[in-house]
Amino acid sequence: MNNVKKQELIWTPFLILLSREIRRFFKVMAQTVLIPIVNSFIYLLIFGVSLGKHIQVIEGISYLEFLIPGLVMLGCMNNSYQNGSSSLLGMKFGGEIVDIKASPLTVQHIIWAMSLGGLCRGLTVGFVIFLSGELFYYFYESSFLIPVHPFYFILFCAIGGLAFTKLGIAVAFIAKTFDHVSAIGGFIILPLITLGGVFFSLDNLSPFWIKVSYFNPLLYFINGVRYGVLGVSDVPVAVAFWISILGLLIFHLAAVWTLKRGSYQPW
Amino acid sequence: MAILKIENLVKNYGSFQAVNKVSFAVHSGEIFGLLGPNGAGKTSIISIITTVEKPTAGSITINDMKLNQHEKKAKSIIGVVPQEIITHGYFNVEEILNFHSGYYGLINNTVRINELMKKLELWDHRHKRVRQLSGGMKRRLMIAKALVHSPRLLLLDEPTAGVDVELRYSIWQLVKELKKMGVAILFTTHYLEEAEQLCDRVAIIDKGQIQKQGETTTLIQKLTSRHLTLILKNKIECSHPALINYQNNTLEFRVPYSKEMGKFLSELNLQRENILDMKIREGTLEEAFKYVLNQGEL
Ligand SMILES: Nc1ncnc2c1ncn2[C@@H]1O[C@H](COP(=O)(O)OP(=O)(O)O)[C@@H](O)[C@H]1O
Ligand SMILES: [Mg+2]
Repeated sequence: MNNVKKQELIWTPFLILLSREIRRFFKVMAQTVLIPIVNSFIYLLIFGVSLGKHIQVIEGISYLEFLIPGLVMLGCMNNSYQNGSSSLLGMKFGGEIVDIKASPLTVQHIIWAMSLGGLCRGLTVGFVIFLSGELFYYFYESSFLIPVHPFYFILFCAIGGLAFTKLGIAVAFIAKTFDHVSAIGGFIILPLITLGGVFFSLDNLSPFWIKVSYFNPLLYFINGVRYGVLGVSDVPVAVAFWISILGLLIFHLAAVWTLKRGSYQPW
Repeated sequence: MAILKIENLVKNYGSFQAVNKVSFAVHSGEIFGLLGPNGAGKTSIISIITTVEKPTAGSITINDMKLNQHEKKAKSIIGVVPQEIITHGYFNVEEILNFHSGYYGLINNTVRINELMKKLELWDHRHKRVRQLSGGMKRRLMIAKALVHSPRLLLLDEPTAGVDVELRYSIWQLVKELKKMGVAILFTTHYLEEAEQLCDRVAIIDKGQIQKQGETTTLIQKLTSRHLTLILKNKIECSHPALINYQNNTLEFRVPYSKEMGKFLSELNLQRENILDMKIREGTLEEAFKYVLNQGEL
């Protein structure tokens, strides 16, 4: 054949799929980033400012401060999940996933490219929510909220975003309809995130609910981020780290398992 | 040289057997037709070659590489035009081709992509998204995608189903060109005329099993007969076993390819001067196909 170019099958397919995912995100950026901003504005306004004056969750920290890292992580994880699941569902119903499977892209290529694409959206949304939080904070405290451990802040956001994109991929791959995906998002994941300590500290709960909360993996992701921003956490940061990594691993394996075992047909 | 070798391939969906011990090979520079009615198992076979479906049993070898051991490498030399149109939501024709090329390990493949867009008349539509394309353009895009990386094995799953005459003709031309360049082509269709024109070899598949396979012309000769029509000046008596119809002065015979025409004519004891006209129609793949599917009833 007159094909003089040599095919590079390790990095090129992966990087191209990643660039496709990122460009897809940019094409839908306005709608995907706007909604979480509006949502977090409402939360910040109602809880952080109006009600927050009367709430004290942790000594020496205002409720607005307490709320910001939680909302950032809520937006990051939720949007990563949305991105992973909607991108995969789109590919599935459009038939593109069959195309991708027939190409030299491996299952690992597909999952990492898509989860980094999802992370891109998660971090963008997280960053934008953080900026709106800063706006509120500056308005009421006349200073900016400086993250205490910026490295941990970004690290936990990244682990959470990656983990939840992978979960989105796995769910969308098995799902038969868009409704399945949003049902799982709305009925399982969003409550877990919300109850994972976005709005309250474990100290505010009764002993029974504290025990229950320890089984919610989202608690560790969210407290990791809170540690990064405020330097306080309901659980030791090392524990939060390892449990988050474990979550990432489990969701990764779930995604690998579905793509290796599941059906690529849209029905 | 065999680019694709399939041995004893079996595919079950639950308890339903869609592909049953299928074996065939496709060589470089050859067009191999996989012919069968709807539901025969053609798409299932293609899907297994592209790893979209997993085989229940059997082995697939691509260019001497076992597919399950060298999946990535093997797939890098396959191009596939699927039966169903793929609707990439967010991207235009040019972007789709660039991505596809990248999935096959080629970046900056502009020369090839432009060449294909021009050849397949997609150039003027390169900034359109799939849903803005007509059915024929969508099909041409599928073909362009399959060719961005100059595959050595091309799988075409009913590429001419539901396309207009003009496009069908240009697909045939393209396939013939690729064959000349040494590409191994697996072509599924249920248009038998098309297969007869195009395919060097064919396999007739029904209910998941290959019923017959071989060179197209050999298969036709083995499974069908020539149709001989004689128009006579004067009626004669004729009770030859090959006679299938006798009306007015027209006699129709079915003459097996194994029989020499000269010998056959002398068996009829005709005076040459009595023959007003004589027509021979060759057997067709369609007849062979019907013969096979009807278990030998012609
Ligand atoms: N994913 C599937 N699950 C169950 N049955 C299937 C599936 N795909 C195909 N079949 C069945 O397998 C048989 C062969 O289908 P297919 O390979 O598409 O045939 P063809 O392409 O020759 O029309 C059909 O009876 C079809 O209904
Ligand atoms: Mg088919």
